Amino acid sequence: MISLAMRTIRHRGAAFAGAFVALLCAAALVCACGMLLETGLRGSVAPERYAGTPVVVTGDRFARETISKSAEKTKTKAKPLAERAWVPVSLAERLRRLPGVSRVVTEVTFPLYVAGRPFEGHGWESAALTPFTLSAGRAPRADGEVAVEAGAGLRPGARVPVRTPAGDRTYLVTGVTAQDLPGRETLFLSPAEARRLAGRPGMVSAVGVFPAVDVSAALREAAAAPGGVRALAATGDERGVVEFPDAEQARVRLISLGGALGGTSLLVAILVVVGTSALSVQQRQREIALLRAVAATPGQVRKMLGGEALLVGAVAGLVGAAVGIGLGFWLRSRFVALGAMPPNLRLVVSPFPAFAALAATVAAAWAASRLSARRAVRIRPVEALGEVTLPAALLPTGRLVAGLLCAGGGVALTLVLSSLSTEAAASPVTMLTALVWTVAVALLGPLVARVAATLVGAPLRAFRASGHLAAANLRAGAPRLASIITPLSLMVAMTCTILFTQTTVEDAARREAAAGTVAGHVLGPHLPSGAAAAMRGLPGVEAVTEVLHTSVRVGLEKYGAQGVTGEGLGRTLDLGVVAGRLDGLGEDAVAVSRTAAERLGVRVGGRLRLTLGDGTPADLRVTAIYHRGLGFGDLTLSHALVARHVDDPLGTALVSAPSLTRADLARAVPGTGVAETAGAAWAGPANAEVNYVAMGLIIAFTAIAVVNTLAMSTSARSRELALLRLVGTTRRQARRMLGLETLVAIAVAVALGTGIALVTLTAFSTGMTGSTAPYVPPLGYLAVVGAAALLALAATALPARVVLGRHPAEAVGARE
Amino acid sequence: MTDVVRLDAVSKVYGKGQGAVAALREVSVGIPRGSFTAVMGPSGSGKSTFLHCAAGLDVPSSGSVRLGGTELSGMNETALTELRRQRVGFVFQAFNLIPALTVAENITLPLRLAGTRADGAWLDEVVSRVGLRGRTGHRPAQLSGGQQQRVAIARALVTRPEVVFGDEPTGALDTMTARDVLTLLREIVDGTGQTVVMVTHDPVAASYADAVLFLADGRIVDSMAAPTSEKVAERMTRLGAWV
Ligand SMILES: Nc1ncnc2c1ncn2[C@@H]1O[C@H](COP(=O)(O)OP(=O)(O)OP(=O)(O)O)[C@@H](O)[C@H]1O
Ligand SMILES: [Mg+2]
Repeated sequence: MISLAMRTIRHRGAAFAGAFVALLCAAALVCACGMLLETGLRGSVAPERYAGTPVVVTGDRFARETISKSAEKTKTKAKPLAERAWVPVSLAERLRRLPGVSRVVTEVTFPLYVAGRPFEGHGWESAALTPFTLSAGRAPRADGEVAVEAGAGLRPGARVPVRTPAGDRTYLVTGVTAQDLPGRETLFLSPAEARRLAGRPGMVSAVGVFPAVDVSAALREAAAAPGGVRALAATGDERGVVEFPDAEQARVRLISLGGALGGTSLLVAILVVVGTSALSVQQRQREIALLRAVAATPGQVRKMLGGEALLVGAVAGLVGAAVGIGLGFWLRSRFVALGAMPPNLRLVVSPFPAFAALAATVAAAWAASRLSARRAVRIRPVEALGEVTLPAALLPTGRLVAGLLCAGGGVALTLVLSSLSTEAAASPVTMLTALVWTVAVALLGPLVARVAATLVGAPLRAFRASGHLAAANLRAGAPRLASIITPLSLMVAMTCTILFTQTTVEDAARREAAAGTVAGHVLGPHLPSGAAAAMRGLPGVEAVTEVLHTSVRVGLEKYGAQGVTGEGLGRTLDLGVVAGRLDGLGEDAVAVSRTAAERLGVRVGGRLRLTLGDGTPADLRVTAIYHRGLGFGDLTLSHALVARHVDDPLGTALVSAPSLTRADLARAVPGTGVAETAGAAWAGPANAEVNYVAMGLIIAFTAIAVVNTLAMSTSARSRELALLRLVGTTRRQARRMLGLETLVAIAVAVALGTGIALVTLTAFSTGMTGSTAPYVPPLGYLAVVGAAALLALAATALPARVVLGRHPAEAVGARE
Repeated sequence: MTDVVRLDAVSKVYGKGQGAVAALREVSVGIPRGSFTAVMGPSGSGKSTFLHCAAGLDVPSSGSVRLGGTELSGMNETALTELRRQRVGFVFQAFNLIPALTVAENITLPLRLAGTRADGAWLDEVVSRVGLRGRTGHRPAQLSGGQQQRVAIARALVTRPEVVFGDEPTGALDTMTARDVLTLLREIVDGTGQTVVMVTHDPVAASYADAVLFLADGRIVDSMAAPTSEKVAERMTRLGAWV
């Protein structure tokens, strides 16, 4: 049967082109996602700043939790923290005393800004970690001196105004390094000045140990000592992980993104391939009936279809995997450009993703052929004898049951989704909900199509001849209509869901932020600590609230948090307190959003243990519950507490000064941006663009499926169209007829897709924002519908032109 | 003479309840081995249904069908297929061939499906009998309608079946080509002792047969031995059909 399958593929290339293209795209997507996933799992970054030190000791940047699986089995889970974890200088002393250690080098790290550009500040003592050497001048010794990198374009003697966490100051350049690290800028200050600016007396951000000795025993001792210090030693490429914490976060994101994208595209692929192979079985009905009559058993027919699927799947998988490797590199370059992935996180290239893509594609093709074979073996051999093929039962019981089960699954997922309030949990479920609903619609498609065809019959007949024909075709060809509706509604549903979950959260957050910001002006970014104090002294200023953003972990779960100064908070921010009081938010206090409070099960007066961004544990008293969690973050802490535990304590400030103008404020804090809060653009979720890029691929994939199916369906009707031409239908009328049929399919698909998306989005919105109304920008929606319609019409018109261009008599004579 | 095919009180009803159509009503008949039988009757009289039931392509609603001594009722689709593969050959009105396969491959398709090898001498004889020597490498699309029917006949013969069924095998051919195909069938019956059952509308085609069965409204209403086209045409007129 395999050789028969091969012959058939060679002979009827067009019938397999659809499945081939769909599988190829799926293989490419799965392969590219596999590369991202593998990079997430195994990718590493080479150290740059720490390249010159064999061992780097830093604080443990992970929140850890031990989960006991059973009596004796326990598992420790670790989640990365948002900020650098510092260690006490005493640890450096302990390491220095270790036998075999000849030297330790300590480092402090703090943010600096020169003309708004971010720099990393260090003391010159840590230059040895790279090592940095001077090509000109001398090392900074006095408080006002600085050494710059080779690429800064400065000479010794130059003066640079620098914004530091302790205020603005102009430094004298005394030295220029011979080295220049790519991708970031570094400034070296004198060791004493650096310690002052870092603002953490007695603490260092890293310790370099020379030469390479095993320090793990010493670290264990340090952890066991009173006031234990949790520190980790990094060697080799691990040093890169320590140096580039962003890379670590990017890796985690790559894992979830790669998994979600790969999984979604595989599911879409199966749906699409099942559709195309069902269509090709439909078109080959007579041939299959003939085979059955000539004495092929149902098993042999199944084998032949399976063989075809395996062959097409294997070739598509191979080509697709090759395309996918290119796609993986392209995705990486996009992510790097969008800042979602550090440029030095190397893409892991191994044969695994390609093999996985090949295996997944072949499996998907085979599964699809199994499903469509169910229909093929039901084709009765007598159909080969008759002139017309008998239409199969509209909806076999098995399919009806499966469709209803899927619809039930859709209901269950929708309910689950409406109770999910974190983006991490809701995002994958959202996609799955939309997909399961689409599968249900696909399974019940013929029924839906029949109903739709009956409904639109009357209005269609208004178009005289072509409308009449179209109505008749739609009624008789319900299965064909259903096969077109499935990818179209998939495309509409997926696109709407992907686009409008983003807008829904963004809009809700923007509205909450706008409603909750009472102050008229915002200062920043990178506001030095003195500026807020200066502003408070300005006559006419009623209240100033300094704001810092970070993220903390409660257990292992991540929560966005803001730190705010408590004084006069009511006149700048209205978080929508529903219980407790917010004013006078002390360092031991925390306010919690309503959704987070529900999830964490805390009440006003209760206590909340959390891990701050730099790994410091904190046990805080809950003083208030508020409802504007989306706009301001789930937790609100004291500014003073947050400032001590973030890498960058330079934040923004909200100013309430109704009698002063923007210019008045700007004069008071030179060198700092001042904006009116009403017009200030709200910064959307950090990785919205990344999601658009990734999900855009899924949308493109469904679009290809639409084109595919329509082209296949139209070109398969060449005989019928030729017959219509012979009995006197003009080309125009035939084209009109096809166009009207496609329009009906579009209308039905848009209705179904919109319905699916609305159900999904409403559930998503209920869980995430507490409001049942998702935000769908009308123009965006119209663009989606318009694009779907144009795509579908073009995919009908082009093959129709080719088919109708042929001489009708010739086409009628041609074998089916 | 033994009966290759035997139908006893075979009925076939399509559909259920109000819209039920009785296509065959209590048909009992035997087809003798080595005979050439034509089945005639007005359109919708149940000829195709008769053929399908006799050949095991369709399952009757009631009654028994025996093919070469094997009772068909109660067999599942795979068993029926395997039985057809061994004992039955088919020639349809059109769309007889798999377009992807060459003439030779189409002819040997049933053997390939059965997983057996073609008997070279027999294959040669079949091919030359139907006059397709030298065209075995061609594809169906490169053949005329008559040649395609000859390929179908060769395919029907290649397994040495007990009986070859044809549903209007010459229905799509012009008169001259139809004559050739009918002569071929006649020669096969005479030369190899093959049993042939053929549905036809054409009294001339029926005259090539040894006997004609007349169907009307799902029943066998008459039969005729040694038919001539005039006698058949006259009988058909009395059955109320225009031919
Ligand atoms: N699948 C079916 N479902 C319902 N009714 C059917 C089906 N197949 C045949 N019939 C009906 O059974 C009757 C006999 O049909 P059959 O095809 O056997 O006629 P026929 O004698 O071969 O006609 P023709 O000469 O036109 O081919 C007809 O009334 C037909 O409408
Ligand atoms: Mg018939």
